Amino acid sequence: MKLQAESRRESGVLLEVDDLHTYFSTPIGLVKSVDHVSFTLDRGRRLGIVGESGCGKTVLSRSIMGLLPRRNVVRGGSVLYEGRELTTMPLKERRKIWGAEMAMIFQDPMTSLNPVIRIGKQLIEPLQIHLGHDRQTASDTALQLLTDVGIPEPEKRMRQYAHELSGGMRQRVMIAMALTCGPSVLFADEPTTALDVTVQAQILDLIERQRRDRNMSVVLVTHDLGVVAGHTDEIIVMYAGQIVERALTPVLFSSMKMPYTEALFRSIPKLSDPSHTRLVTIGGRPPNLIAPPEGCRFSPRCPYATDVCTTTPPELVEATPGHWYACHHPVGSERWQEVNVRMNTGHSVEAS
Amino acid sequence: MSETSTPTTVDDATTPIVSPSTVKKSKYRKRGQVAKWLSIVWLVLLVFTAVGASWLPYVKHSCDQFESKADCRTHIDPNPLLSERPPAWATFSETSRPIVRDAPARVGLMGTDTNGFDIFSRAMFGARNSLLIGAMSIVFGILIGGTLGLIAGYVGRKTDRVIDTIMNIFLSFPALLLAIFIVGFFGSSGADEAKSRSIGPIILALVILSIPPIARLVRANTMVFAQREFVLAARSLGAKNGRIIVREILPNVMPAMVTFAITGMAILIVAEGALAYLGLSVSAPTPTWGSMIFSGQRKLETAWWISIMPAIVLFLTVLAINLLGDVLSEKFRIKEAIG
Repeated sequence: MKLQAESRRESGVLLEVDDLHTYFSTPIGLVKSVDHVSFTLDRGRRLGIVGESGCGKTVLSRSIMGLLPRRNVVRGGSVLYEGRELTTMPLKERRKIWGAEMAMIFQDPMTSLNPVIRIGKQLIEPLQIHLGHDRQTASDTALQLLTDVGIPEPEKRMRQYAHELSGGMRQRVMIAMALTCGPSVLFADEPTTALDVTVQAQILDLIERQRRDRNMSVVLVTHDLGVVAGHTDEIIVMYAGQIVERALTPVLFSSMKMPYTEALFRSIPKLSDPSHTRLVTIGGRPPNLIAPPEGCRFSPRCPYATDVCTTTPPELVEATPGHWYACHHPVGSERWQEVNVRMNTGHSVEAS
Repeated sequence: MSETSTPTTVDDATTPIVSPSTVKKSKYRKRGQVAKWLSIVWLVLLVFTAVGASWLPYVKHSCDQFESKADCRTHIDPNPLLSERPPAWATFSETSRPIVRDAPARVGLMGTDTNGFDIFSRAMFGARNSLLIGAMSIVFGILIGGTLGLIAGYVGRKTDRVIDTIMNIFLSFPALLLAIFIVGFFGSSGADEAKSRSIGPIILALVILSIPPIARLVRANTMVFAQREFVLAARSLGAKNGRIIVREILPNVMPAMVTFAITGMAILIVAEGALAYLGLSVSAPTPTWGSMIFSGQRKLETAWWISIMPAIVLFLTVLAINLLGDVLSEKFRIKEAIG
């Protein structure tokens, strides 16, 4: 028991995703939601997955856990969790991992709690089933969990229904539920998107505190670069089902290479901008994943795209150790400078 | 950073949610309350008398009229002294009554029927059978239809298609024809008791009538809730399918099912009446409301109370059940809206 606890403290590779792909077969073709994604996650580390809506973030996290329905899904690649292969593991085995080893928090706390079951019961049941607690122990543990996630008057909350709590409270309860069986990896799928900005920071801090206390790894899926900035060690930028850039958080923010990352970064409104500044957007929309553009998938929307981009897909290359990107004309390249100069002069001409 | 529970969230959660219904107590709402309580009182009284029919003084009174004191439900000899007497409160002139010496002109709360039985007490004995038939049918209907609906809605694919097709086949028959067919088929199977039809085939027919609509309702509801994130959340915590169906989805489907079942029970009671009216319900001495109405149909001009009195009881009961169903669905809807 003690040994196990100590081994959990150890660092090392916890999750190894290799060449994972998940395609959905639909009547109009194969939707390549996750396309050959590889990464590793160390124990106790925080990984951010960033990208627009529809770029495969959610599908990626769900296919790592193996939560996707079996029908009409084409999958491939491998997911190694503590050396165990998850993709070929029978459902019975995977169920033991779900909740106990890997857990997930969902985007919308309004719909992810059962509206007709009391909060307490929703927390107690997994404890009884997974850990074999008797009623009293499970109830005490649940109470402790609610206290841990910062819910006042936990005894009262246990007897309440989801609709009697506010959005932030519900998300706290969701986190408590995800933590019930002490998972080693927590997938947080846009955990703050449905919440008020004021509550967002609290929830992120809560996840962070729990991660530290339990030495969990956290995979934070979001479209908000601001959210990942302060709460991750490493960031993966996804576009159209593929990883386009991957770096340690400070490296990514100081020297991003991929024009898509740059565009995402630019579209964050800044306090220093003068008032009535037009919000910067990325023109166009994410590509059709049934027939993605040839070459670089971002090329139709990329201001730096050239002929190469529309014909040859860029490979992931390493800029500095640990910083990978896939682009023919990365930020800082000649082409990038050329276009930027033109854009700036164009702007000034327009203004005058 | 460490103390994240700020007053805003606390206040948010502790402020009780004021539902619009408590804010505005309109006249309409009060009237609804009166109707609700009247329905409840009626149903409670009815169930009480139905259960205690054999012991309650006035109700069992009809049995006291017979010397043998045999079970009056099986007694079918006409008692000419009391046959077809109008209710005690009926004050109109009686021209077509056969004049029988020493016979009371008016008898009891609801008069007597052709056999000289007190209609009120028979209606109460009938309540026993009618309510039992209605309740049993709907309970079995929910058990079978609900299970089928949950499975079809949750599992989907081929299972769903098979179940749905079978339900469609049953739904495509005219309901009454189907019931007549089932009663006719199963009711006459016992050779020795061919003449006396028991309660079983009637319930069977009504159960089969009630399964398809319940299954469809539950299936549709299940499909909605199976898509909700809390089901995925339960799955991500390692819950098995059976557990998800029973513990996560069923409680959500329950309100719709219960509301529907209550209204359905009213419909089934009427359906039993329709079967009885066609002479296909429980055989003669055992009263049900339907068979009582049926027994008076040829005498509507001379002795209207034989049909009308049980019809009124049936009407009030069905009305009360429907009102109660409305109240329940209202209650569930408010909760759903907040959640």
